[in-house]
Amino acid sequence: MRLADLAIDVRDLRKTYRTPFTRKKVEALRGVSFEVERGHIFGFVGPNGAGKTTTIRTLMGLIRPTGGNVRLLGHELPSRAARDKIGFLPEAPYFYDYLDVGELCDLAGRLFGLSPAVRKQRADELIDKVGLGRARGQSLKKFSKGMLQRAGLAQALMNDPELVVLDEPMSGLDPIGRKEVRDLILELRDRGKTVFFSTHILSDVEAITDRVAIIARGQLQAHGTPGELVSRTLQGVEVVVRLPDGAAADEALADGASRVRRVGDELSVTLAADADVDAWLARAHAAGARVVQVAPRHETLEDLFLREVANADRPAAAATPEPR
Amino acid sequence: MTGRIWAIALNTFREAARIRVLYGILVLVVGSNLLAILLGQLTLHDAGRVARDVGLAGISLFGSLTAIFLGVFLLYTEVQRRTIHAIVSKPISRWEFVVGKYAGMVLVLTVLVGVFALAMVAMLVYQGVGVSSGVGKAVVLSWCEVLTVAAIAMLFSSFSTPFLSGIFALAMWVIGRLAPDLEAATRFAAPWIRATTKVALEIVPDIHLFAVSGRTLDGSTVSVHGDFVPWSYVGLAAAHGAGWIIGLLALSALLFNRRDFV
Repeated sequence: MRLADLAIDVRDLRKTYRTPFTRKKVEALRGVSFEVERGHIFGFVGPNGAGKTTTIRTLMGLIRPTGGNVRLLGHELPSRAARDKIGFLPEAPYFYDYLDVGELCDLAGRLFGLSPAVRKQRADELIDKVGLGRARGQSLKKFSKGMLQRAGLAQALMNDPELVVLDEPMSGLDPIGRKEVRDLILELRDRGKTVFFSTHILSDVEAITDRVAIIARGQLQAHGTPGELVSRTLQGVEVVVRLPDGAAADEALADGASRVRRVGDELSVTLAADADVDAWLARAHAAGARVVQVAPRHETLEDLFLREVANADRPAAAATPEPR
Repeated sequence: MTGRIWAIALNTFREAARIRVLYGILVLVVGSNLLAILLGQLTLHDAGRVARDVGLAGISLFGSLTAIFLGVFLLYTEVQRRTIHAIVSKPISRWEFVVGKYAGMVLVLTVLVGVFALAMVAMLVYQGVGVSSGVGKAVVLSWCEVLTVAAIAMLFSSFSTPFLSGIFALAMWVIGRLAPDLEAATRFAAPWIRATTKVALEIVPDIHLFAVSGRTLDGSTVSVHGDFVPWSYVGLAAAHGAGWIIGLLALSALLFNRRDFV
């Protein structure tokens, strides 16, 4: 990969804090390395305290790294030239609550050195785009968490950035809001922008990212496209059958299943990957059941996430990290 | 650069204008001026003296306390509430942010000192006492004092909590203001006390330069009620204050630049 093709290039990033009174060392980041190509959507996932926000704050110059190297849009940190082309939404954003969303965008525009006319035009467009048109004159003090998140997105996009860094952008949003943010991220990618975002919501990552990195205990556990990361080997088969009226759940149907669940007249079972599905279906037919669905189950990002986080929690794994 | 500093300054002004404590201080200043009218009526022929003393002391005292209050809180709350995250992630240097915050405080404190001075002038006019150029010079010197104190408070706020910053800034203001008296008081003290006082007075801004009424300068006593300092003195004192402000802001920016915003 050529350096010019990278929007973010992080090499062996380290951050060590000392606790206030005991001066004990806490390693928040332990040699994190990854790359984000220009024009990609990159999902950065990890459990609470994994180092996601520390990584993002380091990228944005809010935290000084203890070691390692970061290049944003070809500029080595700290770089004002890079920040000029970056839009940033902090985690759980808190803005000046005496401003309204237009004034917040105007302040952001001033800091980016935009002219008054451009500031006004961009602010109007973005306020409508994030769905705050009707709350335009309202002070941010009266905004809900979701509205603040939208206001944060609007101010982050004032400079029409090349790289957009979003720390938990879906946090606090209802399903409609989450869908809108996902659409906005996809639209930014379609316009050639690079989007780097952290989240806990794995379905969002699976739905829209080109590449994913999983971080746990300050170390990268996995890094690649969702297709590369998630194993395509069969994990099991999910079968749903409808039982005849009044029929009790046949114990024979539960035999060999790793999970059995009955809701009304529907019986849902998960069979092992090497189970004889045909034989099970024959037993179900014999019991008078009708097949509703037979679906192979492959590994999901959630499975991978849980596995990698569990690996990171094992002392031996933590000592010898091996990002994929 | 100036656009970014101005943006932060304007925002700081708007933020400070919403602090209700400032309106309480305004009421206190107006109240002290009204008290001066009452006190003046209790004296014989000295109503003007009382009015000027109370008015100028009010500007200096309340102005400096307001400067400490704003200085220790405005920078700290940006970090504490994390509003700074969306600001310093934009193409603005941390020193520009510090200077912008200070410039915003200068705007607020200038308005406050202006209002305090207007209240005093109104009181003097009501008392039938003229407003001499000495009063004007004393107001300008008080304004310089207030701005210097704000820079001291900002320095401490760049690395400490409001409580500690407030204590340190207050201590520096008092020491700076009483520097000649402290020097005189320790003249016959033990050598180590004299040495300690000397060092302390060297590292504290000479705030006493802004409160000269009643002191002896070049062998003659200056007083806002009689012969006061010339404008050249006011200019030199202002330049001295500006030097300290630049130094204090540079140090604040240096310390602020080293901070992690977690």
